[in-house]
Amino acid sequence: MGTLELNQPGKTVLMLGNEAIARGAIEAGVDFCAAYPGTPSTEIPESLARVAERFNIYVEWSTNEIVALEVATAASIAGLRALVAMKQPGVNVCADFLMAINLTGTNGGLVLVAADDPRAMSSVNEQDSRNYARHADLPLLEPADCQEAKDMTRWAFELSEKLGLPCILRTVTRLSHSRRNVKLGDLPQKKRTARFKGVYICRDQDLLVAQHATLHQKLERAWEEFEASQFNFYAGPGKAKFVIVTSGSGWLYSREAVGALGLQDKVGILKIGTTWPLPEKFIVAHLKNVTEILVVEEVDPFLEQNIKIMLAEQAKTLGPIEVYGAKSGHLPAYGEMTQDKVAHALTSIKGLKPRVRDKKYVEKVKELALAYIPPRVPTFCTGCPHRASLWVIKSALKLDGRDGFVTGDIGCSSIGTGLTGYFQVKTVHCMGGGIGLATGFGKLDRFAFDQPVIAICGDSTFYHAAIPALINARVHNSNVLMVVLDNGGTAMTGFQPHPGSGFDVLGQPAPTVEIDNICRGIGVEVRVRDPFEISQAVQDLYDMLQESGPRVMVFRRRCFRIEAKEKLQKKYFVDQTKCIGDDCGCARFCSRVFNCPGIVWDQQAQRAMIDEVACTGCGVCATLCPIGAILVRGAAS
Amino acid sequence: MEAGKGSSDLEQEVLSQGLCTSCGACVNICPYIKVVKDKVAVIEPCGLTEGKCYGFCPRTPIDIAALDRSVFGKTRSDYSLGPYISIEMAQAKDSEIRCRAQYGGVVSALMKYALETGEISNAVLTKPFDSAMMPKSVLVEESSQLQECAGSNYIASATLAKLNEAAKQNKVSIGLVGIPCQVLALRKMQASKHETSARGVKLVIGLFCTWALSYKGFYEFLKGKVDPSLIKRIDIPPPPANIMVLETAAGDIRFSLDEVRKFIKLTCSVCYDMTSEFADISVGMVEGIEDWNTLIVRTPAGKRFIDKAKKAGVINTRPLEQTRLGHLKEASSLKKKRAVDAIRKRTNDKSNLLYLRLSAQEKKKYL
Repeated sequence: MGTLELNQPGKTVLMLGNEAIARGAIEAGVDFCAAYPGTPSTEIPESLARVAERFNIYVEWSTNEIVALEVATAASIAGLRALVAMKQPGVNVCADFLMAINLTGTNGGLVLVAADDPRAMSSVNEQDSRNYARHADLPLLEPADCQEAKDMTRWAFELSEKLGLPCILRTVTRLSHSRRNVKLGDLPQKKRTARFKGVYICRDQDLLVAQHATLHQKLERAWEEFEASQFNFYAGPGKAKFVIVTSGSGWLYSREAVGALGLQDKVGILKIGTTWPLPEKFIVAHLKNVTEILVVEEVDPFLEQNIKIMLAEQAKTLGPIEVYGAKSGHLPAYGEMTQDKVAHALTSIKGLKPRVRDKKYVEKVKELALAYIPPRVPTFCTGCPHRASLWVIKSALKLDGRDGFVTGDIGCSSIGTGLTGYFQVKTVHCMGGGIGLATGFGKLDRFAFDQPVIAICGDSTFYHAAIPALINARVHNSNVLMVVLDNGGTAMTGFQPHPGSGFDVLGQPAPTVEIDNICRGIGVEVRVRDPFEISQAVQDLYDMLQESGPRVMVFRRRCFRIEAKEKLQKKYFVDQTKCIGDDCGCARFCSRVFNCPGIVWDQQAQRAMIDEVACTGCGVCATLCPIGAILVRGAAS
Repeated sequence: MEAGKGSSDLEQEVLSQGLCTSCGACVNICPYIKVVKDKVAVIEPCGLTEGKCYGFCPRTPIDIAALDRSVFGKTRSDYSLGPYISIEMAQAKDSEIRCRAQYGGVVSALMKYALETGEISNAVLTKPFDSAMMPKSVLVEESSQLQECAGSNYIASATLAKLNEAAKQNKVSIGLVGIPCQVLALRKMQASKHETSARGVKLVIGLFCTWALSYKGFYEFLKGKVDPSLIKRIDIPPPPANIMVLETAAGDIRFSLDEVRKFIKLTCSVCYDMTSEFADISVGMVEGIEDWNTLIVRTPAGKRFIDKAKKAGVINTRPLEQTRLGHLKEASSLKKKRAVDAIRKRTNDKSNLLYLRLSAQEKKKYL
């Protein structure tokens, strides 16, 4: 039995932050979960899926985040408890619906987990989703560690139900993806049934204004709840003049920095878990004798600005307080927070000697890092069909010779911006952004624009966000060639199923919606090719480049990491008696240019060599070797 | 023969200048250069400073006298038609072959004979109509496959790319039919110090060529006139007709050659060779006679083969009249003169002849 199902209240177990969120939802008796995969949120729905049957939870990977929020809201309206999870840009995608259900209100507890990715380690933007709470007048919770992740999630359902509003729980990568001890709570007896009642209309002018007023009243109630919340506390000396005000991940960074500098007796930490609306009375009570505060948070100065407003309002009570943080330049309002950054801010404010690490230590670390961690660039996996597709695209554009370019999209294909994709992708913005941009470029012909445009997107992105732009291309007859890199799943986040995959989140068979059928329905010409048949694919893509109007090429080939896991693949090797090394005109094409990590240069033999551990056996390199030196092991030559 | 240059130079001096003949000599010898239709491109610079691609190209420096010596063992004395042993008229005896052929059916008859008698065991030929009007080079092993390769559609295909591909299969004893630029490149390949697919080529039949058309423009033009899939044969009757005839299932379509001339490949304007001067045997039309060919035998190997074919009754021959020979020389000289003029106009330098290295005698005749 996994920790998620463990019915032992009080037992302490090691949990991933995202598992803790899932456990919190289970303890709250969650009935329904809808989500779209996205790092760092993906493990939340996946954890719930693992126990879906045990706890009778409906879990789905929705087509996109707004659909996820809509279907989850239906469950809430019907009186069930529902959770939606998404990464930061997903909150933008669902924002339209979010800005309506705040007015109509919800019924059963509805929790939106917004997983932010400071430093954009797995994202194409850096965003602080907390702003949506203020924007939409919704209560916001920020867990600081795994225990809080669980406890706050559980509480968020109750709060949501009490207020009749969705509740936003904001996590960050370091919390979602770290493991800490979590003390388990009890598991509930679930007995809710679903039934629709009431009216949820966000339409009538007078009603809307009344709804907006009600929303503000609900937020007042949230504020009252927050004043008494266990997630807000003070740690430090009783009469500190200097206090760090922090939320979320900032709590641990602050505590470590204060400890490392030995300032425990001088600096207090006011940790806020309920950051919108601010628990003003609680904060005022702890800032009575304080003259300076440093605000520590990730990413935007969200807490800092709200505190400043509050301090202005409380000026008579509190008197002048100096506020340090992003505005003062002591901490950045971008990137990831670290203990060092907080320590640096503290030493510079307090005029202390900056903490300097032993030079020898720094050098030693560098040395060890270089010795044990080889430098790596982002690259497609061995056997990745996208590598072949990008080579085909590069070839077709070069043969075409009109300075054509590629607009890119989100997902594995975005690695095509770099070396491994031969630097073909020139724009990357958001889900579906590539085809939208390309559709615009395709209408610039009257302004002497004559470059061909290829929009690439992954299959999951196609369903998620590309279809409206493709329809736009069709009705406006835009000169755009869309290439869908169809690898059979949402690969970058761990091969979750999408509408074309044929299975669901539980691995059960599911109906499929085929990309080529959608294209045909829209009325655009569509061809489906295997990118591993490189010569044919180049020829066909070149031919399509010569045509005008909207066209779609689907390069269909299953993610080879998955393929290689499921089926025994052929073993390839380089016949080093055939490979002529640097005497070949290929100039080490396979190991240097095609750039598959499965092929390496054998320094000793001065020949190419297959890394049999890395190689997945896709065989594309064998078709590209000009002298046929890459062969299948055991096959007759 | 290698000039110590590589693919970047090829791109700069030939491809980007519109001088590529689409012969295919540089294709399929490395992973970097590709051809689709008649478009050749360096997909990615390989980084090598010296490459076979540059050395083999018919539009990179070519010393005519040196190549004469390498192919014929001596330099030419005829500056209009290149080295030859004999010139006569010929036609295929087999009327069925003649019927399908562009003119006298000599090429088809000779290739059939060469394959059937083991003179060669493979042939690299061109199928004039593949998909969407584009010709396709093919490797045939049986004489029965020759039928679909009869005729021409005036678009160049990358024949030598097919030859290079055949090298992977270790084919030897190959016969090749090509237009002058392809034959020229093939001879450069054979003269190279590198091991190439051209080593296996035992018989080279060169075709006469005044120009070839670029695929894209010509195809778009034809599409406006007729469904290209209906076209069975394209013919340019001998001057002074100045027309192109499309034979289609729905009858013939004729239009003025002037309409087609704008699609002539840029590189044809700098071409110095009308009669495939470096072939073993050259075959072309005869002025004013539709069902005969002009047959130029150039090498001893070519002569031995033609003598054998004549003896076996594969082709009929008869002498080419002096006036017709005169006109042929005139036409060939005119092409050379035009090429030299076009090159000098291009370089804007009277002594810079781009890829051509001419002997003193030739310079005297054409400069």
